[in-house]
Amino acid sequence: MEQLPLPTSLAEVEALIRALYQRNPPETISKIQEVLHRLQRSPEGWQLAQSLIAHREDNIRFYAALTLIIKLNRDSSGLSEDDARGLLENIIGWTIQSLSDGAGNFVIKKLCTALVTYFMHFSHLWPNCIRHFIYCLDLGRGTPADSLDDALSAEILVGKLGPQRLKVAIWFATSFVEEVGKTDMSAPKFIQVHDRLVKNGPDVTCLLARGFSMPEDSPDLKTQGEALGCFQAWILYAQRASPIPDLVAPLRQLVGPAINCFADGDLFHATAELFSDALGNYSSFFTDEHYNTLASLFESPWAAEHYQRTLHGNHEEDGISFGLVILAYGDAKVQDLMRSTDGRSQRFLESLSGLLAADGYLVGEDSIFVPALEFWSTFIETMIDSTYSDEEESQNWKPYAEQHLKTVVMNCWRKIQWPPAETFAEWDSTERVAFGDARKDVTDMLQSVFTLEGMRLVSFFTHLFLQALAAQSWAELEASAFCLGALSDCISDEARFDQELSKVFASPFFDLLGQAQGPIPLRLRQTGLALIERYCEYFERNAQYLPNALNLLFAAVGDSVLGGPSARSISTLCSSCRSILTSEAGAFISHYQTVRGSQVLDSLAEERIVLAIASIIQAIKDENQRLGVFEELYNILKKDFELAVQLKANPGLLNLQHPDFLRGLDPPNPQSAPPTEEIALQIALRSMRCLASIAKGMQDVKEYPVDLDSEPQSQNANSRLAGLQENIMRVLVEVQRVFNTSGEVVEIICNIFRAGFSETEPGPFVFPPNVVTDYFVQQRFETPRVGTLLSTACSFVGSLYRGPKAYVPEQLARLLPWVISILQALPEPEADTEISLNGIAFTDKVMSKYPDVLFHPHHAHLLEFFFLFSIKVLDGNEPLPKGAAAEFWANFIPLTTSPTIIATAPADLKATIANAMAHLGPLIAATLVRNVGGHAARSELDKLCEPLKKLVATHPAAQGWLQGALFSGNEGEGNNNGVGVGEGGAGGGGGGFPGAERVGGEERMAFLRRVVA
Amino acid sequence: MSLCQNRLQEERKQWRKDHPFGFYARPQKNSQGVLDLKIWECGIPGKEKTIWEGGLFKLVVTFPDEYPTKPPKCKFVPPLFHPNVYPSGTVCLSILNEEEAWKPAITIKQILLGVQDLLDDPNPESPAQAEAYNMFKRDRVQYERRIKQIVRENAAP
Repeated sequence: MEQLPLPTSLAEVEALIRALYQRNPPETISKIQEVLHRLQRSPEGWQLAQSLIAHREDNIRFYAALTLIIKLNRDSSGLSEDDARGLLENIIGWTIQSLSDGAGNFVIKKLCTALVTYFMHFSHLWPNCIRHFIYCLDLGRGTPADSLDDALSAEILVGKLGPQRLKVAIWFATSFVEEVGKTDMSAPKFIQVHDRLVKNGPDVTCLLARGFSMPEDSPDLKTQGEALGCFQAWILYAQRASPIPDLVAPLRQLVGPAINCFADGDLFHATAELFSDALGNYSSFFTDEHYNTLASLFESPWAAEHYQRTLHGNHEEDGISFGLVILAYGDAKVQDLMRSTDGRSQRFLESLSGLLAADGYLVGEDSIFVPALEFWSTFIETMIDSTYSDEEESQNWKPYAEQHLKTVVMNCWRKIQWPPAETFAEWDSTERVAFGDARKDVTDMLQSVFTLEGMRLVSFFTHLFLQALAAQSWAELEASAFCLGALSDCISDEARFDQELSKVFASPFFDLLGQAQGPIPLRLRQTGLALIERYCEYFERNAQYLPNALNLLFAAVGDSVLGGPSARSISTLCSSCRSILTSEAGAFISHYQTVRGSQVLDSLAEERIVLAIASIIQAIKDENQRLGVFEELYNILKKDFELAVQLKANPGLLNLQHPDFLRGLDPPNPQSAPPTEEIALQIALRSMRCLASIAKGMQDVKEYPVDLDSEPQSQNANSRLAGLQENIMRVLVEVQRVFNTSGEVVEIICNIFRAGFSETEPGPFVFPPNVVTDYFVQQRFETPRVGTLLSTACSFVGSLYRGPKAYVPEQLARLLPWVISILQALPEPEADTEISLNGIAFTDKVMSKYPDVLFHPHHAHLLEFFFLFSIKVLDGNEPLPKGAAAEFWANFIPLTTSPTIIATAPADLKATIANAMAHLGPLIAATLVRNVGGHAARSELDKLCEPLKKLVATHPAAQGWLQGALFSGNEGEGNNNGVGVGEGGAGGGGGGFPGAERVGGEERMAFLRRVVA
Repeated sequence: MSLCQNRLQEERKQWRKDHPFGFYARPQKNSQGVLDLKIWECGIPGKEKTIWEGGLFKLVVTFPDEYPTKPPKCKFVPPLFHPNVYPSGTVCLSILNEEEAWKPAITIKQILLGVQDLLDDPNPESPAQAEAYNMFKRDRVQYERRIKQIVRENAAP
């Protein structure tokens, strides 16, 4: 940016300042700012400020004050003490002058800030700044700080000030504490500054006492308002600095005068803010006497009027200040109030519980409810703590407190009732979310109340529920069901509440709920269905109600709003009550089939339903029956796969009138019909996701012991199971073949496999290891999502390790070449992080348990590739595979010295490993040195240090290798991107440190000595 | 009360007073219904006008005894498909790392907002899981389709 030349005359400066405050393009403004900054920073800055300070234009005066602040902050160290003393006198003089010649408030306030800035740099020259400033104000001119007569008390001086000057003194006192408060109290530079500020506390108190008592205070002066603001700033400071009794004691004298400000209509909000803030954050500031005064105030007719306005007024227009003050008081005295049994406390608590019953809807109209609920949540938590810590003592006060809880719960129950639908429709999204959040807060509160009240609270709501049901009062019924739902976490697994709950679940409500065109509004249906889901465990114990509940849920599955939640409830309920429901499996399948035949379900809802059915099937004890029912369900989906395949081959089949084809539309109502090929793919994907859900549903919830040494069972003793598995596999492979560009198909197949990997008992998705391996080894590098296939192969190996050992080596020996072939197909090692990460992890897994498979002579050429590949990755930039490579090497390096290898491995295996290490040692050392020397990121070092440690600890030759690497210089910089690095080339990087020229030989040796030591 | 407990009480108070739209954060309750301030259950909504909009993701925040000197651990439950979320669900974010940008002054609100920002603005410099990272880098269309699926599965109520 081109700079403006420095102005040569004062007039030019003034013109620039004027231009700064006028409307100008941003670039002009920044140019002006730049040149003015240069001027301010120059030695002439002081002069400039002085020349401009008496200007008749406020903007120019303001700029002069600003210049003073900048000079003080930048150049005060260049001032002699005498200069500094003179400067103070001047600034005070200018401030008083500005006041008398009618400068704008913002100019005077800026000058007050300049004085505070002066104090921060020269507090030792101006220790009694408040009293001295008042003194000068009284004199009407600046005087030397040491001319202040100690005999002149602040009280006397303040008494002489007129209202204007008093106000300026208060501005200064406010800016004083605010600005100093921004600095670090414990920093050595500021300790003295803070000490001296605190010593001014009593003078400030005198000043504010006079400010509060201005008899002739006029609305334009608002001295009392300024005093309140200043007082609040000092309380805040005292809180942050606490404990400083020397400061707190004088400030406390001001509480009484501040309380008096409540009565002034103009000051009410500011006063309320001060008290809610201080009571909420610094309750120990107030003494018992203060609390008593406030408590009396809250009992006055004045308070009653404000309270009524909070309950019945317009919160948006009138605010809720009064409510917040009494809540803050309650919060500050919560312990005492809870334990008190006297009338005044009881009345006060009543008023606080009453705040939960203000007029209007949550939260848009009634904004006091949420803060009031917050207070009551604290109250209840305090009750819980005290009840547990001293049960005996709590007997005295608990009945009183419980009375209030009753009102609180009742008021909340009323408040969370939904408004009529048309009212809700008018709310904006913020109001709607806030309403929902408030209901959640009530849930939390009720759970706490339950801790104290237990069964009584449950009965309270079942009673309300039945009452509302009888009266057909739907909003009340909904609120009761919601509150009962809130308690489910506390009670659903305890049978002792069942009798109470049965009153609800056996009530005619659920019959009404089942009537599609019945009287029950949507919200209530939602809450009713959710209630069923939340009390899953209840239904497990009370199976007689279960079929009815599930029927209700199934009936709602097709509904656009209720479908999703119902399907979720069905899956939760079926999964946890699976063993009771086995006889219903067939009925549920026909139910599913019927719904599907008549409409297109939401795909996620459908996945949940088939998962639910599968989990019931899983619980069928008789294997043949189980497989029979499973096949019934599977065949429904199988037809979809067949349809998808046919449609792909023959697009003419498409019939968008039929639900089976409509399943292929995603989104369900597209603006224009997608290509038939896409529809075919979506039909397949949708049903594949269902199949994956079924696989998940078929997972056993119990765990069985596994005998690792058992012989592999003769594969699939049950031929029906074998047939089913074959069929599933065939279908999966066929779908993948037909939709061979879809990554999602592969992903879902992987999910289906994974569902089987965790199982220990036979099942349709627990494929024999050979079948899984067959599938993997047929996949090519070109298969979409091959990285996911490799990660699934890793999980597969994990599952093999958990099963009988006899299967394992054969599978590993087939998988290893496949995995390496995929790595070999990569154009470069980091081209696909998922492939390299999982390829390395796979090899590492094989090495960890079956080194003989990995180091088998057959695999020698694969291994050679792999070693160099992983060194290259270790030297690369991709954190995830890099980490895996570091882990691999940390496991490989100590292999030669591993006790198991030494004890059990045949001689040729040992020799292979030792040879490999001798050959690779220098390479790995070079790579590690390069990484540790600066190539790797800080966050990677922990992982990279592991192989380095192992290298030094287990290989005597390591020192030589590392030394070689450290001193190999930067020759051989040839960055060979291929993996087939020739002899001596360190996996693609230059040797030595990346910044080798900056690190001398001696330092490198020192580094080596430390590493080796 | 310990510094950790004190601070968490204060955080809770501040959160109740003021929290961002659509989020929730509350300490877990133990079996007696008493609060455990050191484990919070939180919900992070997907940001508006991003592919994450409409989702609500559950995050468990665990505070160590040394909190706030040390940062809390944030874990998506169940683990989330995202480049900066470890397969375990733990979130990788500089402000949650003691050796990086953690400062004791960082509030729970700031943490949760930070995690929300991370959702649509992954940091490819610190990948935590290969699957999402790889897809994010190599196939953005597929990545976005996957996110939309995840958002549907975790729809905000």
